[in-house]
Amino acid sequence: MLSLLPHAVSIVPLPYPRRGQAFLARRRGSIRAVVDEKLETSAAVVASRKVSFPILVNSCSGKMGSAVAEAAISAGLQLVPTSFSSTEKPGTTLHVRGTDIKIHDPSETEHVLSSVIDEFPNVVVVDFTIPDAVNANAELYCKLGVPFVMGTTGGDRLKLYRTVEDTNTYAVISPQMGKQVVAFLAAMEIMAKQFPGAFSGYKLEVMESHQANKLDTSGTAKAVVSCFQKLGVSFDLKEIKQIRDPKKQLDMVGVPEEHLAGHAFHLYHLTSPDETVSFEFQHNVCGRSIYAEGTIDAAIFLHKKVKSKANKRIYDMIDVLREGDMR
Amino acid sequence: MLSLLPQAAIVVPRLHPRTRGALRAIMAEKLETSASVASSSVSFPILVNGCTGKTGSAVAEAAVSAGLQLVPISFSSTGSPGRTVRVSSTDIRIHGPSEREDVLSSVIDEFPNVIVVDYTVPEAVNANAELYCKLGVPFVMGTTGGDRQMLYKTVQDANVYAVISPQMGKQVVAFLAAMEIMAEQFPGAFSGYKLEVMESHQANKLDISGTAKAVVSCFQKLGVSFDLKQIKQIRDPKKQLEMVGVPEEHLGGHAFHLYHLTSSDETVSFEFQHNVCGRSMYAEGTIDAAIFLYKKIHAKADKRIYNMIDVLREGNMR
Repeated sequence: MLSLLPHAVSIVPLPYPRRGQAFLARRRGSIRAVVDEKLETSAAVVASRKVSFPILVNSCSGKMGSAVAEAAISAGLQLVPTSFSSTEKPGTTLHVRGTDIKIHDPSETEHVLSSVIDEFPNVVVVDFTIPDAVNANAELYCKLGVPFVMGTTGGDRLKLYRTVEDTNTYAVISPQMGKQVVAFLAAMEIMAKQFPGAFSGYKLEVMESHQANKLDTSGTAKAVVSCFQKLGVSFDLKEIKQIRDPKKQLDMVGVPEEHLAGHAFHLYHLTSPDETVSFEFQHNVCGRSIYAEGTIDAAIFLHKKVKSKANKRIYDMIDVLREGDMR
Repeated sequence: MLSLLPQAAIVVPRLHPRTRGALRAIMAEKLETSASVASSSVSFPILVNGCTGKTGSAVAEAAVSAGLQLVPISFSSTGSPGRTVRVSSTDIRIHGPSEREDVLSSVIDEFPNVIVVDYTVPEAVNANAELYCKLGVPFVMGTTGGDRQMLYKTVQDANVYAVISPQMGKQVVAFLAAMEIMAEQFPGAFSGYKLEVMESHQANKLDISGTAKAVVSCFQKLGVSFDLKQIKQIRDPKKQLEMVGVPEEHLGGHAFHLYHLTSSDETVSFEFQHNVCGRSMYAEGTIDAAIFLYKKIHAKADKRIYNMIDVLREGNMR
């Protein structure tokens, strides 16, 4: 039998179907007690929150996951005090803003999550795990019929979409959770599609800076370059200036020291053939806040779609953007 | 009869055969020169009304560079009539306002597919548009001001082909359109973000940039709280040189804009800039508009009145 007590480690698979009501009454009560307390705190912290629902973050132990968990509480959502981790010791408790999150081993995900869904039928799951877990996790969420936001990149994306489509599950799938960056990129794409060749003859310079261990060129930079190419600008991806030296990042790019290890700065500079006209676009991100906030927007969006029994099931960040301000 | 000779002062409705021949000879020569200057796939006669003005002369030069046939005739309400102005190795004969109808009529007889470009003054906008419509000549209206509603009504009633755009900076129009589409598609996307706007223009431009106001309006739809009064207007040449980075030779004519967005927790920022020196962008955009209009006429398009967005949608003109 599972228990919320930190030192409990014996795990026994339930011999009967998940959805039976014989699941630990005590555990259910404990979760509810914790969540009720959280509800009160949330209500006091954010009095005017229109929307609130249970949200489970898989995995709270990762950097993105913990940022999302914190953002969820700030947004007045009910953070389910349960999560999974392959790096933390099972049975550990993580503390997120005054909430104790019980960590379970990933192998327990199916029955633990099943119980959570019994308890909180309108729970939305947020997935920030690892590429190798993407497809298995999606299959599980779909099997249990729980709506989810897939923030984890990688895995077999075609298979991911097929799994979700085949089960008609509600999901927001987006490799880029930085909502405002998605908006900027979408605007560039619309401009390129509507006005092909508008910047013919213009020269382009592109610079991007990321933490030193990011080896590949920014995918966002490549996408923006592609737009400028449609706009008539001659440019090769090899011309993108990649800045990875921390000293240059500090002195030249202006990255705050505390974010050298996690930032995404982009600059695009266009100059007319006779050099009398120039355009410049920059988007500079420090840390993870933008992705956490975007993920919460996606979760709130999905909750609304589920509640309104929308026909469409699979969404992306553009759909979230089209809906307007979530908070 | 009109004559290209400077001292002729008698005005009659039709061009003397000798004049017509002289015009034709000059045009033929220009055609040859144009062909060697630029290998545009498209060429047609273009008359710039307002060649003596700064933007008008810039457009005339751009026309020659683009391989179009610049008609060696223009009009002016200032200075002595009958004078000649030199544009890009072409001698342009300047006529006074009272001769407009007769001279323009003759030009159209000679060059039925001519397109007129208007860079005159706000006070002349409506009268000029009425004349072009009366003569049925397609035109690009680059002059701002005048009674715009009346302008559109005149053109609509006459079913004349025209490109009307107060902003001929094609790429700035593209940027503004992208911002407008973003604001319309994704309302409130930047809720909670802070905005700072700075614009710099030549010292004698008193009002706030219309483009800046339009972009601010987009950001307001995107959920940003901002009042037009917060726009920082830079008009001091010293600041423009040192702080803004305007090249000295363009202090007398430039349009620099900067918009900076910051997230509420200050971990995210976006910045957009568009910086224009001189008139080249407007001249090039005007030529694009003229070529666009020529193509529409050639294709006998149903639509008659166009703006810069239509020109942009058509794709690269050259």
